[in-house]
Amino acid sequence: MAACTRRASETMGLLRILRNLTHNERLLSTSVMRHAAASDGPPKFTPPAKPVIIDKTQKEASLRRFLSPEFIPPRQRTNPVKFSVERKDMIQRRKVLNIPEFYVGSILAVSMSDPHASGNLNRFVGICTQRSGKGLGATFILRNVVEGQGVEICYELYSPRMRNIEVLKLEKRLDDNLMYLRDALSEYSTFDFNMQPVRFELTGDVSVNQLKVKMKPKPWSKRWERPKFNIQGIRFDLCLTPEMMEHAQKWGEPWREYDMLKEYDTSSLEKQIFQEVEENLSK
Amino acid sequence: MRLTLRALISHGRVARRMGLGPESRINILRNILTGLVRHERLETTRARADEVRFYAEKMIDYAKKGETNEKSMKMADFWLTEKDLIPKLFKVLAVRFENQTGGYTRMARIPNRENLDRAAMAVLEYKGNPFPPLFPVRRVRELSLVNQLLKGYREEKAQMVAEKKD
Repeated sequence: MAACTRRASETMGLLRILRNLTHNERLLSTSVMRHAAASDGPPKFTPPAKPVIIDKTQKEASLRRFLSPEFIPPRQRTNPVKFSVERKDMIQRRKVLNIPEFYVGSILAVSMSDPHASGNLNRFVGICTQRSGKGLGATFILRNVVEGQGVEICYELYSPRMRNIEVLKLEKRLDDNLMYLRDALSEYSTFDFNMQPVRFELTGDVSVNQLKVKMKPKPWSKRWERPKFNIQGIRFDLCLTPEMMEHAQKWGEPWREYDMLKEYDTSSLEKQIFQEVEENLSK
Repeated sequence: MRLTLRALISHGRVARRMGLGPESRINILRNILTGLVRHERLETTRARADEVRFYAEKMIDYAKKGETNEKSMKMADFWLTEKDLIPKLFKVLAVRFENQTGGYTRMARIPNRENLDRAAMAVLEYKGNPFPPLFPVRRVRELSLVNQLLKGYREEKAQMVAEKKD
């Protein structure tokens, strides 16, 4: 009985130390604590004030209808059951991890648990240059220039190591794939690691950054001027002659947009999946 | 032989290869589709007919969205090489298939070509055309012996049920 009360008083005392430091003058001496407890009996339990949890991330969530692109299954023969099961797992993960709305061109800060990093946490800031993959294996690529060296990290959105995704700047760019930033001047993919989040509109359309980048001299990793890429965000007039631009049109396939066999209309599918995700997330 | 569209979309092999390349293929199909919209029934090789069939049905789906729809107008403009057919597509064919979803065309296999290369041939048509039917319509002969006997049997049975109820 005595040992029990002693142990209880010890723990209570430790709690009290944390709360009002003026009570005990010698904080780290346990013997003093024991004497104090013995003198005025077991201390009365005072429940700590109930913390008011304000989830700032939830408050910041935008109000526009947005379905993450990895929810939409690709057009193929794979059994649709596979995708519906994966969708369930994704929703389960989303209940624990807040995956915000972001697009290619947004600036993100991603924290990942890393056993080799100090504090087991690895934070990286960069511009999202590509989103790919469907279902649980969806990935996105962040790009930044660190000490003059371009760095790209491919993150898995639903990886169990993912701790936090923070949107520092929510915007879109002229293209859906910014891989050409590899061949652009490094100033376009350099971002400060201590960047403060920029406020964004919670409703309405996401702003499109009309920035057009200047490129390094050729050769590039890909021939971005070819119509296949259909890139709007490059100042081609600075690096290519009009003859070269015209020559690139040789690889154009103007009939392709009229080929109805190649179309994949996801509007009804998107609506259905959005409803499903909404219902299950709120459960 | 064409399977369903879903089954065909595997490993990116969606369409048959025809002509001199993808552009040539689209041009061949465009010309056949234009002919189909003009005459509503035509005869081609079987593979081409089967390939055009998909586009012919999709074209009607687009036409149903109306002339004001920008995308459907663009599609009609591309696929109909003779522009006087555009009003026909929107005002005749789209109206004809208003209450129907899918299955706007009919394809029939016909004997191989005799004169040139013995290619497998087919007839493709939009349903509801003014031509005589492709397949013989089965006539129901009311006065044949079997039908008369069946009629008598049904009447007798109906009578028996009525008597039982009373």
